[in-house]
Amino acid sequence: MTSFDFGNAMTFLERRWEDILVLAGEHLFVVVIALAIALVTGVLLGLLVWNRATPRATAITAASVAITVPSLALLALLSPVLGLGWGPTIVALVFYSLLPIIRNTVVGLTEVPEHIMESAKAMGMSPRRILLTTQLPLAWPLILTGTRVAAQLGLGVAAIAAYVAGPGLGQYIFKGLSSLGSKNALNYALAGTVGIILLALLVDGAFVLISRYTTSRGLRA
Amino acid sequence: MSIVTETEVSLVDDLKAVPDGSGRRRYGRLARIAAAPVVVGFVLLATYLWIASMQLDSIEKRTLNADYLFARISEHLVLTVAASALVAILAIPAGIAVYRSRSKVVHTVAFGLANIGQATPAVGVVILLAIVWQTGFATALVALVAYSFLPVLRNTLIGLEQVDAGVKEAARGMGMTYSQVLRRIELPLASPVILAGLRTALVFCVSVATIATFINAGGLGDMIVNGLKLQRFPVLFVGAILVAAIAVLIDWIAGLVEEFVKPRGL
Repeated sequence: MTSFDFGNAMTFLERRWEDILVLAGEHLFVVVIALAIALVTGVLLGLLVWNRATPRATAITAASVAITVPSLALLALLSPVLGLGWGPTIVALVFYSLLPIIRNTVVGLTEVPEHIMESAKAMGMSPRRILLTTQLPLAWPLILTGTRVAAQLGLGVAAIAAYVAGPGLGQYIFKGLSSLGSKNALNYALAGTVGIILLALLVDGAFVLISRYTTSRGLRA
Repeated sequence: MSIVTETEVSLVDDLKAVPDGSGRRRYGRLARIAAAPVVVGFVLLATYLWIASMQLDSIEKRTLNADYLFARISEHLVLTVAASALVAILAIPAGIAVYRSRSKVVHTVAFGLANIGQATPAVGVVILLAIVWQTGFATALVALVAYSFLPVLRNTLIGLEQVDAGVKEAARGMGMTYSQVLRRIELPLASPVILAGLRTALVFCVSVATIATFINAGGLGDMIVNGLKLQRFPVLFVGAILVAAIAVLIDWIAGLVEEFVKPRGL
């Protein structure tokens, strides 16, 4: 049982803020890399399956079953193959990011209004061109939403990944646990947890900006 | 198009937003319903056969036996089910209360908290509670409830708020009191969203219950952590596969229940 001591926490922060910033940077970095991989893979998969009933159902069912797998279990399963550290962390993060991205890509591509599809066709565009120049830009805001959900999820998974020596603020959370009973235990765990919450809010803000600047001009109200 | 943007809260639920394939729908649906348990069964069987064919050393024998596995599985399930039940009992009424309170501030605070809750890493909650309070089962239970409380509250609110104002007015016009409208119109119409939230909470709980091993609350996480620490891959593997199987099956059962209790008009 440890209670919070403000002065103590301030000294802790003062002494370790550089360390905390490095860990926060790593945390963000690993999530961003994984998101980039998942975004490319997920959108490509979405483009491949969106208009074929069986592959689409298979991809989405598989991804939604996959996302229910507890992250500690997945990380543990990956570690004998990929070792400890960055490897299993990135693979696990990509794994969990795929569902929201694929699903939103498919929904976005499918739900382009009929009249827009028809006008594009009437202008003589080939199906592939319609897909890439009409449907994809229209689906983009939704794909970004999926990516944002994946980012939130990923920041949490990355925290657990510290157990298999993954990078980031999770290390502080586990340090808190392993120093249970000492006076800095609470400070470590708090710094890690609050750091991740702040990162999540920051990332959310970044997504607002990204979606503003990457959404096709016609869609911006 | 806004369906997904608004309900992105619950990751597992809005599968339905994806349109069904047109032809052969029946078989497709059946295949999709049966897919999860069949795959799980197959994986479990394969794991069993693999382990059975192995020469186990004494450490492995101590964990890879029916008694030990059964004890860990029941700890895991008790933790998950107890936490989800508590969340249902606490968060749904709380959501209704927030919805009924006409104050804007309460709504904003509830949504703001729900958003921050979503951004909070589960390990952080579990470990912080263990540090400030104690380790063990009770702490894990409280952490799980705290962690899945907000998504359910949020889905309850979203579900109630999306009920068509015209329908509510019609019900009022028929002479129903406010609480009748709530019980007979709003709650049934909101039930799919509320249930989706509960389903998410269940799956969350299975996942977070795995982490409970860090604070000595038992469960299948024990096997994963022991397997990692003692370099016994079979132990780790069986623990991870079992917990994954439980998560998938619980999500599957929740999906069936969702389908089954959906009001007929929807």
